[in-house]
Amino acid sequence: MVISLSEKLDRTHLYEWHKSHGDVVPFAGWEMPVRYTDIREEHMAVREAVGIFDTTHMSRFFVSGPQVVDFLQTLTTNNVAKLGLNEGHYATCLNEKGGIHDDLMIYRIGEMEFIWITNASNGPKIKSHLIANAKRFKVVVEDRSKDVVMIAVQGPNALELLSKMAGLDARALPRFSCNSVKLAGHDCYLCRTGYTGEEGGEVLLLNTPFNDAGKKKAIAFWEEILKQGKDFGVKPCGLGARDSTRLEAGLVLYGHELDENTTPLEARISYAVKFKVAPHYIGYDALSKQKEAGVTKTRIGLVMVDKGIPREQYPVLINGEKIGMVTSGGMSPVLDCGIAMAYVKPESAKEGDTVEIDIKGRVRKAKVTGWPFYDPQKYGENRAR
Amino acid sequence: MSKGAKGTKVIDGLYYTKEHEWAKVQGDMVIVGITDYAQNALHEITFVEIKEPGTDVTAGEECGLVESMKASSDVFSPVSGQIAEVNTALDDAPEIVNQDPYGKGWMCKIKCSNPKQDLKKLMDSKAYSAFIVSK
Repeated sequence: MVISLSEKLDRTHLYEWHKSHGDVVPFAGWEMPVRYTDIREEHMAVREAVGIFDTTHMSRFFVSGPQVVDFLQTLTTNNVAKLGLNEGHYATCLNEKGGIHDDLMIYRIGEMEFIWITNASNGPKIKSHLIANAKRFKVVVEDRSKDVVMIAVQGPNALELLSKMAGLDARALPRFSCNSVKLAGHDCYLCRTGYTGEEGGEVLLLNTPFNDAGKKKAIAFWEEILKQGKDFGVKPCGLGARDSTRLEAGLVLYGHELDENTTPLEARISYAVKFKVAPHYIGYDALSKQKEAGVTKTRIGLVMVDKGIPREQYPVLINGEKIGMVTSGGMSPVLDCGIAMAYVKPESAKEGDTVEIDIKGRVRKAKVTGWPFYDPQKYGENRAR
Repeated sequence: MSKGAKGTKVIDGLYYTKEHEWAKVQGDMVIVGITDYAQNALHEITFVEIKEPGTDVTAGEECGLVESMKASSDVFSPVSGQIAEVNTALDDAPEIVNQDPYGKGWMCKIKCSNPKQDLKKLMDSKAYSAFIVSK
């Protein structure tokens, strides 16, 4: 066993609650709960009932001004001009070479006002990027990460719980919409989005400064969700379950499936990318070129046939020859076996093929699949109800 | 380390490594497992794989791995020798290591030519207790 710890770390408003109820560990510069009880138990609560996650460690930028649409078109790959009021979408932000600087959610909350939500690990990088590019446009970029708390409510019962708290039918809100609502008497945005493959929402609890009063408010709000969610089987969930649910859903994570040297076409998240847009975004030319020429690597899903758990950086082989590398792997509680995402040479392995994974010198068989890894009839937001 | 780390069990009469393995002498065999502290830190163990019987191992070097929901960790052999037996009960029920790390959760038996020399370099229960509290 080698067990290691840590440098100076940031905390969210809910830190004291996490500390007294869970197991807090360092993550991307933050002290976050990895679990409260068991990762598997929390994972299954998300798949079968409802789980809540503190995602305040992510960064939230409010961007506004008369040229905000052009500004966002320049920095992101989806078509912001097409977003109506209270609509959102997933996008990437590229470097000049078409590599991914970050992946993000954007919501239009006003005619000329948007919220940009970014990975915790990329917060400072994206903030600099936004501020540097804002000089060329009539826009204002406000970092509201510290006075907006963010909580994800995910699972087949999530919308019932949110409906009860908001006094409206959350199921009637379109996916990816961002709605101004009151939850437990507080002003919130309720976004019909998530990162688990399940139905649910991400709640932005507004006006919650990072001071004693704000922390108290955030904890009371978190506890209110747990209280009102009791009949729905709610469980607080840590980052362990956040990672295992996103992996099982086949969702990409920055630093694993995405980085500065990987394009959205290679990551197979082309739904985040548009080519008929104006003005062109940073990285547009490189990406268009790649669209014509073809990719040099591609993301695949893997399910273990043999025993063993695939992990990041394990080589993927065919007949002993390396074709790629695992970027995320772990145990799937639903399938009860190891699953992974990997990048391989295009055309080297197609769905249904058997490949090998080198697990620390032990060569084990795995099958190439798509995602989600679970049966979408039984789990996830498109399950048969 | 995390919650409960200092409340974990340490058993007298066993030898301990800094990497949180334990070793117990039984004739010319040394039984090896991971400590209560280690299983508690890893939590939810999902898979254990020790090298096959007949494999030579060296003290301080990797002899297997333990997977938890959180991470993958190597198991280091506390002694040099040859793996004589691995605990196959863990194949289908790795959670036994969480439930009974010093008993049914043992991982392998190593046939050891000179156990005394290797064990001398390890900690006793008192030293290991102090070691985990200091972490």
